[in-house]
Amino acid sequence: MAEKREVQQGTLALMILKTLDVLGPLHGYGVARRIEETSRNRLSLNYGTLYPALLKLEQEGFIKAEWSQSENNRRAKFYSLTASGRKQLAREAREWQETADLIAAFLTPRREVP
Amino acid sequence: MSYVRSALARIAGVFTGHSADNDLRAELEAHLEMETAENIRRGMAPEEARRQALLASGGLSVAADAVHDQRGLPWVESIGSDLKYAVRALRHAPAFTAVVIITLALGIGANTAIFSVVNGVLLKPLPHRDGSRLVYLRQSTDGPTGESITFSVPEVRDLRTGAPSLAGIAEYSQWFGTLQETEGARRLDIGLVTGNFFEVMGLSPVLGRLTRPSDDGPGVQPVMVLSYDFWTKHFGADSSVVGKHLLIGDKEVLVIGVLQPAPFFPSRVDGLLNMVISPHHLSAQMVEARIHRMTQVVARLAPGATLEKARTEVDAVHARMRRDHKEAYDPNSNYRVAVIPFKEALGERAKLTLWLLMGAAAFVMIISAANVANLTLMRGVRREHELVVRAALGAGVSRLRRLLLVENLLLAIIGATLGLAIAISGVRLLTSLAERYSPRASEIELDVPVLGFALALSVMIALVLSFLASLPKEGTFASMSGGRRTSGSLKKQRLQRALVIAQISVSVVLLAGAGLLTRTMIQLSDVSTGLTTRTEQVLTLPVPLLDPTRLSPAADAANKLLYERMRSDIRALPGVIDVGLGSTMPLRASGFYLDLKAEGKPLTAGEATPNADFRTASPEYFRAAGIPLLQGRQFATTDQLGGPKVAIINEALADRLFPGESPIGKRIAWTGEILKFTPVTSEWRTIVGVVGNTRDGGMDAEPRGAVFMPFVQEFAMGGGLVIRAEGDAAELASAATRVVRRLAPKVPIENVLTVAQIKDQSVAPRRLNAVLVSSFGILALIIAAVGIAGVLAFSVSTRTNEIGIRMSLGADSGRVQRMILGEGSVLLAVGLVLGVIGAYLTARVIQGLLFGVAPYDPTTFGAVAAMMAVIGLGACWIPALRAARIDPAITMRS
Repeated sequence: MAEKREVQQGTLALMILKTLDVLGPLHGYGVARRIEETSRNRLSLNYGTLYPALLKLEQEGFIKAEWSQSENNRRAKFYSLTASGRKQLAREAREWQETADLIAAFLTPRREVP
Repeated sequence: MSYVRSALARIAGVFTGHSADNDLRAELEAHLEMETAENIRRGMAPEEARRQALLASGGLSVAADAVHDQRGLPWVESIGSDLKYAVRALRHAPAFTAVVIITLALGIGANTAIFSVVNGVLLKPLPHRDGSRLVYLRQSTDGPTGESITFSVPEVRDLRTGAPSLAGIAEYSQWFGTLQETEGARRLDIGLVTGNFFEVMGLSPVLGRLTRPSDDGPGVQPVMVLSYDFWTKHFGADSSVVGKHLLIGDKEVLVIGVLQPAPFFPSRVDGLLNMVISPHHLSAQMVEARIHRMTQVVARLAPGATLEKARTEVDAVHARMRRDHKEAYDPNSNYRVAVIPFKEALGERAKLTLWLLMGAAAFVMIISAANVANLTLMRGVRREHELVVRAALGAGVSRLRRLLLVENLLLAIIGATLGLAIAISGVRLLTSLAERYSPRASEIELDVPVLGFALALSVMIALVLSFLASLPKEGTFASMSGGRRTSGSLKKQRLQRALVIAQISVSVVLLAGAGLLTRTMIQLSDVSTGLTTRTEQVLTLPVPLLDPTRLSPAADAANKLLYERMRSDIRALPGVIDVGLGSTMPLRASGFYLDLKAEGKPLTAGEATPNADFRTASPEYFRAAGIPLLQGRQFATTDQLGGPKVAIINEALADRLFPGESPIGKRIAWTGEILKFTPVTSEWRTIVGVVGNTRDGGMDAEPRGAVFMPFVQEFAMGGGLVIRAEGDAAELASAATRVVRRLAPKVPIENVLTVAQIKDQSVAPRRLNAVLVSSFGILALIIAAVGIAGVLAFSVSTRTNEIGIRMSLGADSGRVQRMILGEGSVLLAVGLVLGVIGAYLTARVIQGLLFGVAPYDPTTFGAVAAMMAVIGLGACWIPALRAARIDPAITMRS
């Protein structure tokens, strides 16, 4: 297994938004597990990275937080997307896609057009 | 949008920190529990499961810190704690804090106060619309009265057609009138303006309207625009005054508006009227005579025109005028026109004095800052240990620097606040000073630029102080290994010494300036007025009976009769020795200079026509004023209207016209085109006497030529009474004024002053200069003395061990004392030498403010150096004595 990577700056917010979009309201632990699973455990996410990112999204108004009961009757703080969060997700996903396409175009070897 | 939300959330986060921390702890704990449960589900033992979960978390407290930083504004919170720390640190050093704050307050206060004046009078943009485009035109000639001879209407016409760079030309004449009110009469300073005046000047009314071209010419209603100042002071800012009629002289004048606050040049006015009030200003003489100069000119530069272009054009127009009208421009008098930005013209008289005061204040600031820097350096040495410990405990250099900065900022801001309190009281005093020099004194205020100046000054000081201290490197224990180093580095000691030397030399410069100005003031008060009476004995009472709108011989005869009744009635008052009548009071210039010729004395080629002050006097005038008769006789009652024309001249004119011979019996006559516009005749007048010179142009001006004629033989254009009392003449003022008021209730009576008071008015501005600069000098001296004593005391305290060793090796206390004194003397000597050199260089700058003393006056320099040396040595003595009392036994043991 490849060495675990720190999550890249700027991409974490997108991952969190997408996670909440797909799974609905979720606590911090759930978000972390989902991101680790999706990355097939190539990403490690400690609390010091995850929680400031969640707080930042909350301050920006993209997500909101609420205490409620978890599936195993534990009290946990649940995060969910807001309307502006949904818009932000669409915007960031599009930008990320464009960047990825661009980088891919650069890195793909291409034959010179005669 | 999200930025704003985020910023707001973070600011809120600073205040909600505590409850959010609990919330976070619960959230992290829940996360940990879920992960532990998951690990258990995977088959781990409970302890192992929790351990693994903790490992994966990356540390709960690290996470808590990271979230905390994201929640609020970390730098705000640490500045808060820095501030708390700074307050605590300063409270532990109350003496240091007090001295620093007081020193800074004095420096910042003095500078803020003076800067507010400099800003208000010299720097601030003019209140006129596009005020920077306004220029003042000044025509001048050589000779004592030629500084500003103004323009005639034909000259203005030539400028208007010949200088396209001047888009508009505003004309105005300084005039005066008498405002008749039920409470009494009052002299009004008036500007007579043309209809385009306000348009060109770019001024607006705050109430009503301003004059316009339809107010020009004869046969219109006389209208008046009140100046803002006069409106608030005289009418209490009552808006109902607009639309009312005022009685000026015997004319009804309609008040049409109030002008915005704006400075006038050359002097302030109470109101602005259209020309119709003065028939003279509409007469053919005024409008057609090229030498009839009484119009001030301010012009507005045309769009795109530059000052240089305007100057070139005006010079060309003026050269053409001189060529086409040779009779109006005496080639020996060097007629010329200067185009000066209006703002500069307004500030020109105040400039030198204000920059002098600003310079003096800046010097005080340098000395204060040097003193504070020295104190900080000394404290820094004592704190080195503390800073090293902090660094060792993990405080970064930038954090330590910020800590010091916050501390110094706190000091500077407290100092600045106190300084502003000082400035507020100082500004009032300075405004009264500025009023003597500038029409813009009312614009002086502690406004935003001035407060910005004070703030910038304090921040600058705080920055300099914070970077003086050298900080230990991050995480080092190096400086601690040698135990407590309390002497500071050599480099730092050198810096301290340099600062003391700077303080001493700057103090010497300031004291030298103060000394020169003080000697100027003393010289000026020692100047003889030329009067032989005691100055307190003579009262002057100007009574302007002349109504400029009615210049008939009948009115003149009536006026003279009235003057004579005043004279005899006041003569009858108890305590009065003598009363004389004259056109002009002694020690006052008539302002009426005319060209003169002496019989049988043709001008040599290139010689400028002599001129003299036109004055009239009754036979008693010279006796009452105490003007000594040097040759010939005084006027007699036989010198009657219609009798042979006679004159008495002063010594200055006698020397000019008849050098080396007696003027008695010689004849002189007034001459020049200008006589056509005056009631003065060009008849020959026989000189019957010569009197001594008096300082009529101010105590600092050389006496000018004057011709006295019998009061009864000339048209009484001005008039007043000179009263000689047995004792203090000031006590007669109210009784004499009552007599005049009874006989002439409609005449404004102002400036009833003794000769002593007139003299004092002439000396007062210099005295204020001397007092201000002297107080700055003394302040500097005290601060510098404290500075040198402080540095030496510190040097002694850090060398206690060394001195103890010296003493135990046989040095006696006298020797130790000499050693410390020697150390101080070197600083003092270097400072003195540099200071005297500095004073020599700067004294030239203030030459224009000096009188009767050379800018490099050796007496002043010597006295100042001696004073500084004595006080400096005295300051060294205190630490030297302390050093001599050191007990070697105690110091060696410690």
